Amino acid sequence: MTWLSKIRKVPFWSWFWFVLGVLYFVLPLYATLDFSLRMERDTISLKAYQSAFSDPEFLKTFLYSIFLAAMTIVVSIALVVPTAYWIRLRLPQARRIVEFITLMPFVVPAIILVFGLIRIYSSPFTIPFTSIVLMQPLTNFKVGTNILIIGGYTVLGLPYMYRSVDTGMRTVDVRTLTEAAQSMGANWGTIITKIILPNVRTALLSGALLTFAIVVGEVVLASFLGIPAFGPYLFLLGQHRAYEPAALAFTTFLLTWAAMGIIQLVTGGQSQAAGAH
Amino acid sequence: MAYLELKNISKIFGKTTAVEDFNLQVNKGELVSFLGPSGCGKTTTLRMVAGFEIPTGGKIIIDGKDVTNKSPNQRDVGMIFQSYALFPNLTVAGNVGFGLKIAKKPAEEIKKRVVEMLDLIHMPEYGNRYPYQLSGGQQQRVALARALALSPDVLLLDEPLSALDAKIRVSLRAEIRAIQQELGITAIYVTHDQEEALSISDRIVVMYNGHIEQIGTPFQVYNFPETAFVASFIGTLNAFNAEIIDPKTNSIQIGSVQLVTEESIQDRKVGDKLMIAIRPERLSFSSEQKKANIINCQIENITFLGSIVRIEVKTGDTHFFMDTFNNPFLELPKIGETVEITCSRQAVIILNH
Repeated sequence: MTWLSKIRKVPFWSWFWFVLGVLYFVLPLYATLDFSLRMERDTISLKAYQSAFSDPEFLKTFLYSIFLAAMTIVVSIALVVPTAYWIRLRLPQARRIVEFITLMPFVVPAIILVFGLIRIYSSPFTIPFTSIVLMQPLTNFKVGTNILIIGGYTVLGLPYMYRSVDTGMRTVDVRTLTEAAQSMGANWGTIITKIILPNVRTALLSGALLTFAIVVGEVVLASFLGIPAFGPYLFLLGQHRAYEPAALAFTTFLLTWAAMGIIQLVTGGQSQAAGAH
Repeated sequence: MAYLELKNISKIFGKTTAVEDFNLQVNKGELVSFLGPSGCGKTTTLRMVAGFEIPTGGKIIIDGKDVTNKSPNQRDVGMIFQSYALFPNLTVAGNVGFGLKIAKKPAEEIKKRVVEMLDLIHMPEYGNRYPYQLSGGQQQRVALARALALSPDVLLLDEPLSALDAKIRVSLRAEIRAIQQELGITAIYVTHDQEEALSISDRIVVMYNGHIEQIGTPFQVYNFPETAFVASFIGTLNAFNAEIIDPKTNSIQIGSVQLVTEESIQDRKVGDKLMIAIRPERLSFSSEQKKANIINCQIENITFLGSIVRIEVKTGDTHFFMDTFNNPFLELPKIGETVEITCSRQAVIILNH
């Protein structure tokens, strides 16, 4: 069957909705790209990109966001992998509760989260019923604020990271693999590093890249905690400049697509492996 | 002295008793099957031997050592799972050598042992393949090689053939049995398939509701079932509630049919109730050879089952199944015809409960 006859077999309305969907996503993107290339009157040029990338603030904030994203990914993996693993292995009855908790970021807006963080962590920690100060408010120093924002980002990324890891663990049946490894003398450390992590690496990568995308573009938490991250920079730039934010927004799109491409590339190999089971 | 001993083992999950007062002694090199329906406690018992479940009560002794409270990685026990459980990230050689690597054996020794094991399962050229590149049967053979690579004290097989198709199941079970006998390894084999258990085992433990119903050789369990459950679970069976009519002559009655059994019932009284069973293949037409028990009956139905022909007969309200070997030159009676069937005194088995 040729591709043309295959296309003809698809009903008209399916094509109509497909094209409408594509236009809905592609048109704004095209408009952004087109606008970002028209910084110079009546010519198509990359001047907006040149201008945006040459701003030292761009690199500084972008690298800072990458650092925050990397830290968030590390914390998320350290939190989610053992949790999801233990639930699959020993506490299946707790899955619903944990799934509900991981969905909270969809219910509670980021603005509520950041005000909650500021309210709790802007006062010093004292021993109850005394005035002895154990720790200064986290919002008072840079490391403390970074800890707060990484915690906040971990919460925001939780739905994606938990689901990715949990699905990955379901695909490889971690429970039986763990028991098989145990019967061959492996201890917990060996099981996690040699068996579990290598077999959920695609899921980890998916979760990590989604977390990365969230952190790099996030504005609310970074703005209210006064963090010089890429999100607030892009927001501020948009208030003062016209073409550079469009150029940076399009660049961010490309980065996200590249990330998705990497996921597809890596997942492609493992889904073949899973399919044979 | 038994090599593997399970003493008064019990396991309770919340309010459910999964296994109760389980006692078993397995000799070195013996293959014992746990046979029973789903939920009878066979897998739970196996998992307790493996260390994945800790018994609520009782002791597990392997080669004289009490391993009841030892974790799975401290017992020298190899396990084969229904779902193969090969590590997808490792090659066949990596899987087979995994346990040896954990045991920190020298690289040369690991390599040699992996080759040995792959030869044993007739897959020497598959070392570099990944599990997803193998068929189900091949994966289970690799799982067997992996479990045997460490020369475990006991090999545990948890329904290893359930996920395979019928033909491979038959060939692989013969292969498993041959390897087990060649290596002289002590093994416990869990299955719900009676044919599998009968064909592979030295002894069978028939389980029901967390209890042992009977322990015996396949021959004993099939031919001399001790309980109604064992009789009904293994093979096809004619089971009846009977009444004693003369204990001195071992005579009993089922409806209008009178039978004589070989087993003594002299300690019982006239009118006592008991349960009896007759295997369909122990019944035959009396035209061939007359035996101690003769029943006049009518042919109800005839079913062709390939190598055997199953004939359903009726006398009063009592129905019997009778199996006869298929013979293309055999002239079978017609439905509705009156015939005389017969069985020996030994064919009438008295069941305990």
